[in-house]
Amino acid sequence: MMLKKIFVIIVYIFLILLFSNISNAVEPEEILKNQKQELRARKISKNIRCLVCQNQSIDESNAPLAKDLRILIRNQIKNGEKDEDIYKFLTDRYGDFILLNPPLKSSTIVLWFFPFIFFLVGIFIVFFHNKKSNRI
Amino acid sequence: MKKKLLIIPFISFLLVSLTFFYLLLIERNPSELPSNLLNKNVPTFETETLLKREKFISSKEFGNEKILVNFFATWCKPCRDEHIFIKRLSSEKKIRIIGINYKDNPKKAIQWLKNLGNPYSNIIVDKKGRIAIDWGVYGIPETFVINSKGIIKYRHVGPLTKKTSKKIEMLIQQIE
Repeated sequence: MMLKKIFVIIVYIFLILLFSNISNAVEPEEILKNQKQELRARKISKNIRCLVCQNQSIDESNAPLAKDLRILIRNQIKNGEKDEDIYKFLTDRYGDFILLNPPLKSSTIVLWFFPFIFFLVGIFIVFFHNKKSNRI
Repeated sequence: MKKKLLIIPFISFLLVSLTFFYLLLIERNPSELPSNLLNKNVPTFETETLLKREKFISSKEFGNEKILVNFFATWCKPCRDEHIFIKRLSSEKKIRIIGINYKDNPKKAIQWLKNLGNPYSNIIVDKKGRIAIDWGVYGIPETFVINSKGIIKYRHVGPLTKKTSKKIEMLIQQIE
């Protein structure tokens, strides 16, 4: 009985996750007719931070600036610009902060590698502790 | 040995709380972002002026004298709040002030300036907000100080206050 309940709950969670993925702020008239181009636009705008709300991507945000940038990205794609050119256009104006996925640079090395260093330190501590207490 | 180690969590807790306390004490606006355009040239753009509908070409206007650029709109309440400080800067006549009317209704903007006074030497129109994107603007009001070589020296996001307008006054005297 209990197991069945848990199973039903898990199915519900999966359904919610499945459908919430569709929810975004892109309005029907913004969508490009060319599906390939639209997918590219969606992929880029999922990695661009909405600077008004700051923890949303422009793909999810209803802010007017997010809408402007979504349309701008789509226009640039229609004009045949490459993804790198579009990213450069945006970071030239708004800085690296606009990228939700920060680039690997000398100023972000700590951000990228500290998790691994902490992981190694953690392993070392656990190992050291276990050795002392004679338990595995 | 073990007992001595117990002091480590305590010290780290103290360090963390001290950091938080410091961040609370200093005046800091976490939503304010550093500008990527600082010490760079003014973006080039073409548009028209609000009042006389004349052509405005940025490359002809910037680079000859110090200019303060202020993005504003009638629908933006903080713009109304900072208007008195823009007027004060304008009355000192130490810098030319250009207003960029952001995504606004021209008629409303003209009426707004009639009611509150016009501190701007030029008001130019950014109907669709495209010029603002080139300036890296993400929330108006925003104010930029540009030196006589056409290089952006300062950017302020949000309404000017007594403190920031004093800072800008000082800066105007320091820059070339």
